[in-house]
Amino acid sequence: MIPILGSITLSTALGLCLISSFLLLIGLRYKEPKYFISAHRTINLISILNIFSTFLLLNELIGSNFDVKYVAHYTSIETPLIFKITALWAGQSGSLLFWLFILSIYTLVVFYKEEKVIATYFQWVLLVLTLVQSFFLILLNFIENPFEPINVGFIVNNGNGLNPLLQNLTMAIHPPTLYLGYIGFTVPFAFAIAALITKQLDSIIWIKKIRLWTLTAWLFQSGGIILGGWWAYQELGWGGYWAWDPVENASFMPWLTATAFLHSIYIQEKKGLLKLWNIILILTTFILVIFGTFLTRSGVMSSVHSFAVSDLGPAFLIFIFIIFIACFYLIWLRLPIFKSQKKIKSISSRESGILLNNVIFVVICFSVFWGTIFPVLSEAVRGSKITVGPPFYNQVNIPIGLILLFFTGAGPLLVWGHTSKKAFFNNFRMPIIVMIFFFLLCFIKEIRGAAMVSFSLAGFSVAAITKEFWRGIISRKSQYNESMLRAFFSLISKNRNRYGGHIVHLGIIIMFVGFTGHAFDSEIEFSLKNRESIDFNGYRFELASLSPEERPNHFAWIAEIIVTKTDKTFITTLYPEKRVYFHRHPNPDKRQPHSELDIYSTIRKDIYSIFSGIDGENQTAFFKIMINPLVRLVWYGGYILIIGTLIILLPNKEKLWI
Amino acid sequence: MFISKIPITIFTISFLAVIWISWVTFNPNQEKPGLVRFVSINELNYVKADERVKLGGLVKTGSINISPNNQLECIFSLQQGEHNVDVLFSGIRPDMFKDEAEVIIEGKYIGGKFSADQLQTKCASRYEGDLKDQSPYKYKNI
Repeated sequence: MIPILGSITLSTALGLCLISSFLLLIGLRYKEPKYFISAHRTINLISILNIFSTFLLLNELIGSNFDVKYVAHYTSIETPLIFKITALWAGQSGSLLFWLFILSIYTLVVFYKEEKVIATYFQWVLLVLTLVQSFFLILLNFIENPFEPINVGFIVNNGNGLNPLLQNLTMAIHPPTLYLGYIGFTVPFAFAIAALITKQLDSIIWIKKIRLWTLTAWLFQSGGIILGGWWAYQELGWGGYWAWDPVENASFMPWLTATAFLHSIYIQEKKGLLKLWNIILILTTFILVIFGTFLTRSGVMSSVHSFAVSDLGPAFLIFIFIIFIACFYLIWLRLPIFKSQKKIKSISSRESGILLNNVIFVVICFSVFWGTIFPVLSEAVRGSKITVGPPFYNQVNIPIGLILLFFTGAGPLLVWGHTSKKAFFNNFRMPIIVMIFFFLLCFIKEIRGAAMVSFSLAGFSVAAITKEFWRGIISRKSQYNESMLRAFFSLISKNRNRYGGHIVHLGIIIMFVGFTGHAFDSEIEFSLKNRESIDFNGYRFELASLSPEERPNHFAWIAEIIVTKTDKTFITTLYPEKRVYFHRHPNPDKRQPHSELDIYSTIRKDIYSIFSGIDGENQTAFFKIMINPLVRLVWYGGYILIIGTLIILLPNKEKLWI
Repeated sequence: MFISKIPITIFTISFLAVIWISWVTFNPNQEKPGLVRFVSINELNYVKADERVKLGGLVKTGSINISPNNQLECIFSLQQGEHNVDVLFSGIRPDMFKDEAEVIIEGKYIGGKFSADQLQTKCASRYEGDLKDQSPYKYKNI
């Protein structure tokens, strides 16, 4: 009964989408508010229906109704409740419904936040959001229905269960966070299209709104990417957090263009420059979002994240094509209003610094795009598939990333308009001294190459940001007679955009230092019997015990590894596990082994242990140990980035209505 | 004075970036190439001795031989239809590595044997199992 209700809800929502779009178009054509009011009611109803159908599927997942194919595929009776809920986005059709669910929430938030607006502009925003919803409803109604019943003539008493890799709490947070970012970019896209149609590109309120919505999506996208890295590091057992996998790239590309946009929209707000560039960036961001969704769902790329091959590919390609043509046409139509009398006057100005940093973001985005599509291109052009791995991305992006790291520090030191030689000297002197200090320190410590440059530039950029804060604190202290601490907090609260931005930059720099630690990674693979030990990288690893344990949804072998320094100083005890999920399954092929790793983490380095396998006959266990320096800084930098963004996003007292 | 320099600077940076990306694409690092060709067993004879390539196929049933001296070393036969190639792999084998597992290997083809330093099994991260295969799960006709 409920699955039928779910299907009816989805088809009703699609019908209402078409009606509301028609009403909005009629209202826009005849400028009749009554059509808008009807359309608004319909749009609210669509969102409610979409949310309702999501809860219907959740109800089926929690209740283990295996009459629904999706429920039988992704859950079992043994699946814990939390993972029955997360199974909502584990499969193709469920995650599409989840897409729609989040888009519906965004639509409602946009609607009620701008409720008092009866302007033409706002109707276009709603129309774009409704059309995007229509696309996903078409997919759910005609290609991937999550409420599809199990084949007639069969009863499934228990389902497949959820993949063990996805039975992790981070996986309960990472996809929704990433989706909130990914789908959130639909809102600035709708604002951009509406502004193009209604010629509102100069409106300062539009700039503030699109910036706010982009920053909100960017916050979630950043959080989602960081959580994804954290999950990969904690769960996948290869010791890394970023693999340049096509689907990881798909989430990274819109993040890059959105980051560029958030910088350059600041120039448009301050100086009225780069209008065309900004529009291209935000439209590209959304196109890359849909392109990423296409990559994940079409089966065109093999990836650890991709779903099974489906018929969704052509639908997404057609959608991308339509969006691309519509965006191109609108930009071409509005070219005259992009012409600005204002120009960037000096190459040593802050605006030119931001523009150069924008170019670098776009270059990185292009290199990632190139690497992602290269296997498909090579197969089409040369007939042989050439795969692109991390060494390509690292080789291309390390030098470009270092330039970006320099600009992260140099940008705030430049002055709006033009930086005089005197200001240049005064502003850059201290950061350059710090950079030289770190360079010499690396030289003494025998750190060479890109790592040496990275640490030195990180020192430069942190010094530049510190200088900015210091200058502001001293100024407030003398002006308002505040204590240092109070001046620090007042400085941030009174200039949240500026100093929140500096905090975000600080987070990025700390993450860069963490990334640089990867240059010093080391690893060893070995086998041990009970009470045997091995020395590696100044540590001794002794296998103290191996014990079996049966748990509700898996069987585990638990290794107890005592880690000491080679001089016998105790460091820690690690408990990596070798698990077998579905261990009671009579068919051994259906049992799924899984390595649950254990990490000893400090700010300097992580000792990462993986229990790879066990040879029962010889009582031998196989391990991989990795020593990964500075990984923690990647997560710390991520926290700081999130805090900085939240500071910028804190609501202002002023209200903005168009 | 600088008005005309900004577009030129941007153009120059973009141009240099394209050159750089193209250079890395067509002159990859020989030690750790980022771009690796996917070949079939038939094509192995035409591969240069020092070229790293990728190969996909099934692990031939009963072909896995683990070295008694070093349990991390193993030899198995990779099957692509009628064709086979012996593969030497040293390292920790993935959880899903077994007879008839679908694997992708990366390494070099030297002297009639494929020496692999990377071994991946078909990823099961998206669990798209066929319910009909789950007969032990009391799936029954009505």
